[in-house]
Amino acid sequence: MKIEILYPEVCNLYGDLANAEYLSRSSGAEIVTTSLKEKPHFPEEDIALVYMGTTTERGQELVRDAFAPWLGALKERTAQGGLTLITGNALEIFGEYIQDEERKIPMLGLFPSHAERHMMARYNSLYLGKYGEMDIVGFKSQFGHSYGDNGEGLFTTVRGPGLNPEVKPEGFRQGNLMATYLVGPLAILNPPFAKELLHLMGVAAPQLECEDIAYEAYQIRVREFSDPNRGFTY
Amino acid sequence: MKLRFLMALWAAKLSQPLLKITKHNGTNFPGELALKLCPDFLKYVAKPRRIITVTGTDGKTSVSNLICDMLEAEGQRVLNNRAGSNINSGVATSLLSGCTIFNRTRYDVAVLEVDERSSKRIYPYVKPDVTVITNLFRDSIMRNGHPEYIASILTSAIPPETKLILNADDLISASVAPSNPRVYFGLDRLPGDVTECVNRINDLRICPKCAGKLEYEYRHYHHIGRAHCRDCGFQSPAPDYLGTDVDLEKMTMTVRDAAGDHPYKLLSDSTFNIYNQVTAIALMRELGMDHDKIASLMSHIKIAESRYLSQKAGQVEVVMQMAKDRNALACSRVFDYVTSRPGEKELLLMMNNLSDDLHWSENTCWLYDCDFEFLNDDGVIHVVATGPRAKDYYLRLRLAGVPADRVDCVRDEFEAADKLLLRPGSSVYLLYGADNRSLTMAHRVREKIIHRAEEAQA
Repeated sequence: MKIEILYPEVCNLYGDLANAEYLSRSSGAEIVTTSLKEKPHFPEEDIALVYMGTTTERGQELVRDAFAPWLGALKERTAQGGLTLITGNALEIFGEYIQDEERKIPMLGLFPSHAERHMMARYNSLYLGKYGEMDIVGFKSQFGHSYGDNGEGLFTTVRGPGLNPEVKPEGFRQGNLMATYLVGPLAILNPPFAKELLHLMGVAAPQLECEDIAYEAYQIRVREFSDPNRGFTY
Repeated sequence: MKLRFLMALWAAKLSQPLLKITKHNGTNFPGELALKLCPDFLKYVAKPRRIITVTGTDGKTSVSNLICDMLEAEGQRVLNNRAGSNINSGVATSLLSGCTIFNRTRYDVAVLEVDERSSKRIYPYVKPDVTVITNLFRDSIMRNGHPEYIASILTSAIPPETKLILNADDLISASVAPSNPRVYFGLDRLPGDVTECVNRINDLRICPKCAGKLEYEYRHYHHIGRAHCRDCGFQSPAPDYLGTDVDLEKMTMTVRDAAGDHPYKLLSDSTFNIYNQVTAIALMRELGMDHDKIASLMSHIKIAESRYLSQKAGQVEVVMQMAKDRNALACSRVFDYVTSRPGEKELLLMMNNLSDDLHWSENTCWLYDCDFEFLNDDGVIHVVATGPRAKDYYLRLRLAGVPADRVDCVRDEFEAADKLLLRPGSSVYLLYGADNRSLTMAHRVREKIIHRAEEAQA
């Protein structure tokens, strides 16, 4: 079993890479990485999870250019049920474009949305949402939001912003292609979701590393984030 | 001069004795008031004829203090903001404190520490002759985003005529304001350097020009070292001031520049502080001072240890050290330093941001950028995680491979202090966050540890 991390030399902000590490350590899956000047593994190899994390604004454009030839392969992978997880502003790379003040930057166009970026207005928030019946907790830290039709999203927001502060659906889901603005160690913060990912990777009886501690930390955070008196934006 | 400015100056000056009487001196209130009454206050307030600013992710306080101390020792009247803050209101407070009610400055030179994000609100009005940028790393996720972003802010904010003193070993800060006049400082290969990054944070993995893979001749830590691109040939600039022949036993180094080699006594044995020292030397050389004079001035200076407090208690050494909450780089550097110390170490991790806990909940993503793996070391006999985020720290420590029998997790900080082993001959490090609540809590917990250690000996 393999997990492919796409472009870790630029998609590595905010502890995001810990997601792939944690899922690897909890499943025994081997991690393979693909750099900007390399061909991805997933079009030709059996990859249980393709992962891409948060990047810089320059990184978004580099990744767009590097990944454009493989967009069709990703669509094909998704059609066949392959699991892909995209976190943080890597989500914006798969939208139609990014509007950065006066500059319109074309993106890959997989999701029917565009992002509006404001570099002097950083947006920080806690997040509480649902994945099915599962509570999802996390953090948002970004320079913009996305607008457009994201259907039901990946998560349904309980508190905090969805794809933008005006909507409840958060992220995108097309089959097992999942994208969310949440940054950081999403899988570690949400052990039930980590187990769901392992299940979708094909792990029969998922068991997480340090599972008991992860669940205790998760339950503390769910209680905190559910407290109506707790501030949500930074 | 605008009447509005004078009103703001006088009101702000009047507030200072009032703050002193009410024991609120040291705050930014005068500057905040001045900026509220006159938004372009910084434009009109009198400034010393020479302005030096120091910015960057780490080391700016130490470098500013070194420069101030040397210039003052040389007899110059130096205005600084070390008692206040490094944002625009802190700079305004310093400048208004340094001028008369008729807006005449009483100082020869200003040495101002400037927060990177605040530079857009400061540099349009306070135009430095020289700006030192120590380095740029990822810092607070919420505030600073990533270092490329901070570099772009500095590039757009620093006036084009300002001379830059830049770190040749940091290709991120070295790229700031490429049209400005500049010199570089650097630190030569050191024992223990690596070529591949061993840290979780590696903020520059690709060539800034062509996105090819960077290769390092040597790397001191993270992305700091000498690199070149194997695809396009881009490489680190040659340092104009190079710290070399570092001898930690004799506590000496040589600084090499166009004038030749000159020996210096080291002020500290940590690589971070050696960088700070070379940076300050580069600045003083650019101000025209000769090496003998700099070395002489430095021989009377100590690196401020305001963030490091050590005391022998009973049979243990109790060290209280700031580790900057929510800052993976700063904590990684502290972990690296602590584990490199001789003897057995015990750590009490209480870097939680207690102010965050009051208002919302600390963003803990940084824990997974931070090298907790350093603590998986035989010299670290015990770690206690405490505070509102104790369970998150505990999980991170376990995932970093620290054995379960060496870690405790206790929510209450005082109960956590009771868990410490205080083994005779060991050092106990109490690591605390940068917010005031954390500092207050750390002092109280430190007292308890000292009391326990002394009681144990009795």
